[in-house]
Amino acid sequence: MLEIKNLMVFFENALALNDLSINVKQGEIVSALGSNSAGKTTLMNTISGLIIDMKIKEERRGGERITLMGEIWYEGEEILFMKPSHRIRKGIALSRERHPIFPDSDVEENLRISTYLRKDSEIKKSFEFVYSIFPPLRGLKQRKAGFCSGGEQQMLSIGMALMTHPKLLLLDEPLLGLSPAMQNSLIEAIKKIREEGITIFITEQFARPLLPIVDRGYIIENGMLTLTGTGQELRENPEVRATFMGI
Amino acid sequence: MEIIIYGITNSVTLVLMTLGFSLTFGISGLANFAHGAFYLLGGILTWVFMNELGIPYLLSALLSIFIVGLFGFFLYWGLMLRLRGLAINEVIATLATAVVIIEVLRYLGFSGFTYVLPEFIKGSIQIGKSWVDYQRILLVAIGIALIIFLFLFTHRTKIGLSFRAISQNERTAISLGIDSDWTAALSLSFGSALAVIAGLVILPLGSIDTQIGYDILISALAVGIVGGLESVPGILVASLILGFGQIVVATFIKAQWQTVVTLAAIVVILAVKPSGIFGKYKELEERV
Repeated sequence: MLEIKNLMVFFENALALNDLSINVKQGEIVSALGSNSAGKTTLMNTISGLIIDMKIKEERRGGERITLMGEIWYEGEEILFMKPSHRIRKGIALSRERHPIFPDSDVEENLRISTYLRKDSEIKKSFEFVYSIFPPLRGLKQRKAGFCSGGEQQMLSIGMALMTHPKLLLLDEPLLGLSPAMQNSLIEAIKKIREEGITIFITEQFARPLLPIVDRGYIIENGMLTLTGTGQELRENPEVRATFMGI
Repeated sequence: MEIIIYGITNSVTLVLMTLGFSLTFGISGLANFAHGAFYLLGGILTWVFMNELGIPYLLSALLSIFIVGLFGFFLYWGLMLRLRGLAINEVIATLATAVVIIEVLRYLGFSGFTYVLPEFIKGSIQIGKSWVDYQRILLVAIGIALIIFLFLFTHRTKIGLSFRAISQNERTAISLGIDSDWTAALSLSFGSALAVIAGLVILPLGSIDTQIGYDILISALAVGIVGGLESVPGILVASLILGFGQIVVATFIKAQWQTVVTLAAIVVILAVKPSGIFGKYKELEERV
């Protein structure tokens, strides 16, 4: 479904992603694990196309030079330089790091804004889908999103991505800053989303709750791939255990 | 009684003058210093359409709203696109646009008693002991209607929701497929169109003078600074404070002191709470 080949991203002369090759198959949950500054968010922005928007705006005002090399194939099409809105239409949705939602809008309006590009008549179904995956959101419909707790905002952020009706859901550090209980319920929700046939690609640094549900994983360090394997293999790898699980 | 009536009409006048400026700034962060110039341009275009080309009033008015709106739209794509986010450059570029428009109109001689826009309904009504012309009552009604319309527009329509999204978190909005350039251009266009609507309602109360191009900008800035530029409640409260303040001073001291009220309010607010009574964003202090 998604195939990244030899992807390199430079900010000016600094190399953020170095020769990354990743592939995600239909129906899988794939994870990229890495510590801070490993390049996880840059990777997500590159897949979702946000970096193209940043690149255009930086070029316009003569700011930072962003250089992209390599290939990203999505459903048989090269999308490396495609605008983010086109990618959303093709079914790639991103829930950004640290759940940046629209704080002054209520929860329902946040979800409604997320349907901006959709013209189909199934929007109502999507609302129901999001509320069935995240039941707490149903009771918070009229609450201003800025007043919701971190966990609720994270659910909302993923819910907003789901409202675009994605085939491939990108989750950038969904567990960051959440309590263990909240992390577990989010993991359950991610399992449910996969059961609906949505392919999921997650970047994360908390491997312990995540690895049991992951089909395959990649370890990224300083923008480079250092290890790949199935979820099971990674869980048993002593280096992964030491770095990401604190064992 | 007179103070209440004229205070209210004066306040609503200020609201009308500020709405467009605040809409654009609130959505895309663009400080449109050509706001007053658009107000003037809309009035003069309407006058030209009616008196030189013989087009009926309603059509002339709609045509000028549309033309100036379109002008705002292309001003974004032509000039503001590369400057967006660079506050000082935005101000310089829009102020330069304003000076060009206003001075060209001044050169062409669009000032004086011949240049008068028609009132919607002629005549006046007695409230208590004072006479109020219908235009002022209509002005209040239109001001209120416009605020309700804008509220519904930004909360119920797709374009309105995309405006709210961009104003709250631009990058999240982009990650949901909202085009930030398109939205910013539309916000500048809507703001410019609102300036023309304000002009069409307010200008019939006097004759057109090119100087108002600058005066309107200063009034809009004053209301914006006092209330908080991106906040609609802020604008309402600030308009009431300044509107009544001006009338009280004009009644009890001297009409010339009205401007002092405005300027004093700006100074006080900038010293006490620089982002305005309802303002949230600190950027404002750097922008204005």
